[in-house]
Amino acid sequence: MASTYYEIYRGSTLGLALMDTIDELVRLQVLTGPQGMLVVEKFDRAVANALATQVKAKTSVKAHLRTYNDCEEVWTFHLRDATFKMDDSTVVTTPRIKVVACKDTSAAGPAQTQTSPKKSKR
Amino acid sequence: MSFALPARQVTFGRPSAYQQQQQHGLGGNPYQPQNGLALPGPHPHPPPAAPNAVAGPSTPPAAAAVPSTPVPLTLEQQHITAVEGIVPTLQNIVATVNLDCRLDLKTIALHARNAEYNPKRFAAVIMRIRDPKTTALIFASGKMVVTGAKSEDDSRLASRKYARIVQKLGFDAKFSEFKIQNIVGSCDVKFPIRLEGLAYSHGQFSSYEPELFPGLIYRMIKPKVVLLIFVSGKIVLTGAKVREEIYTAFNTIYTVLCEFRKP
Repeated sequence: MASTYYEIYRGSTLGLALMDTIDELVRLQVLTGPQGMLVVEKFDRAVANALATQVKAKTSVKAHLRTYNDCEEVWTFHLRDATFKMDDSTVVTTPRIKVVACKDTSAAGPAQTQTSPKKSKR
Repeated sequence: MSFALPARQVTFGRPSAYQQQQQHGLGGNPYQPQNGLALPGPHPHPPPAAPNAVAGPSTPPAAAAVPSTPVPLTLEQQHITAVEGIVPTLQNIVATVNLDCRLDLKTIALHARNAEYNPKRFAAVIMRIRDPKTTALIFASGKMVVTGAKSEDDSRLASRKYARIVQKLGFDAKFSEFKIQNIVGSCDVKFPIRLEGLAYSHGQFSSYEPELFPGLIYRMIKPKVVLLIFVSGKIVLTGAKVREEIYTAFNTIYTVLCEFRKP
C-alpha cells in the first residue's frame, strides 16, 4: 500500500523535520524502527491526499527551460529566470529552479501531475 | 502512354557558364560529393596552365597536360541545376547509426540531459540536442536514429555528438554504419498547378484524392522519390537517399508542372 504514494515530499521542509524527529525518537528508543517507518509512510499518504484534495492554490510559471528529463514518468525540469504568478497576484522570481513532476497516482482524478518545486539556490 | 520521364536537361537556354555559377550558389553548403554523381563544387575548374613566361622551357610535362578549358559537366551534374532559380531546400535528414554496444536505457535516461524514456510507451530513449537541432532515438540494441538535421554534415555531426554523450555515460559506444536513410526537401514553383490534369495524364505515378489529402502524391520511379504536389505550387520531395535525387526529381517534375500550370 505504502508503495502507491510518492516519497518525494520527505524532502520538503516539513518532511525533513519529521524525519529528524523520528530519527531522534528511534535513537532514544521511544519508537522502534518499524514504527518510525509507519509514521513516514502515513506522512507520504497524508501529504499526497492533502495536496490533492485540500490545496486549491495555483500558480503559473514562466521560465526558460534549460534541460528536461523524463524517466518512467518522472519529469524533471531545470528552469532559468522563472517567474511564479500566484493566485493573489504576488510574483516570485528565481534565477534557477528545479521542478520534479510525477504522475498523480490518486484514484480520484485522471492522470494529473503533482509538482514539487525545489528551489536550488546555488 | 509511356511516361518513362526521360531525365531531360532543363537549362532554359542558359549558357553553361551561367549554369555553373548557379550550381556554385547552391545554398553554399559544404557538401562533399559521395558517389561521382555530385555537384561540381570542389574541383569544377582545373587550375589554368602555368604561364610559360614564368615556367620557361623547363616546364614539367604534367603542367602542359592540364587543359585550360573547363571540363564539360557530366550529364548528371547538369541535372543538378537550379530551374528558374528555384532550388529545393533540405528540410529533414534521417540517418541511422550503430553504436555497436548494448545499452542500458534507464541509465541513459537518468543521467543524460534532455532525455525521455517511458518504456510503457516506446522502447527507446528520445534525446535532443540544440546544435545541430536534432532528435535521436536510442535503442537498447545500440542502434540509433537521428532526425531533424538540415544537411548531411549536420546529420553526421549530430550523430557523433549523440554517440559521444552515450560514451560519456560509460558505454563502449562506437560510431559505425552511419547511413542517411531519407532526405526531405521542399520548394515553391510560384505558380498554381492543375492537379486533376496532372493526375489524369500521369496516372501511372499519381495518386490524387482531394477528399483524403489535398496534395497529389507523385511516385517518381527514377530517381525513386515521392513528391507531394499542392495546388499552390508548393512541393515536398521525400524518399531520397542522396541530395542529388531531390534535385534531379525536382528538375524532372518542373517541366511536367509547367505543362499543368493553371491559366
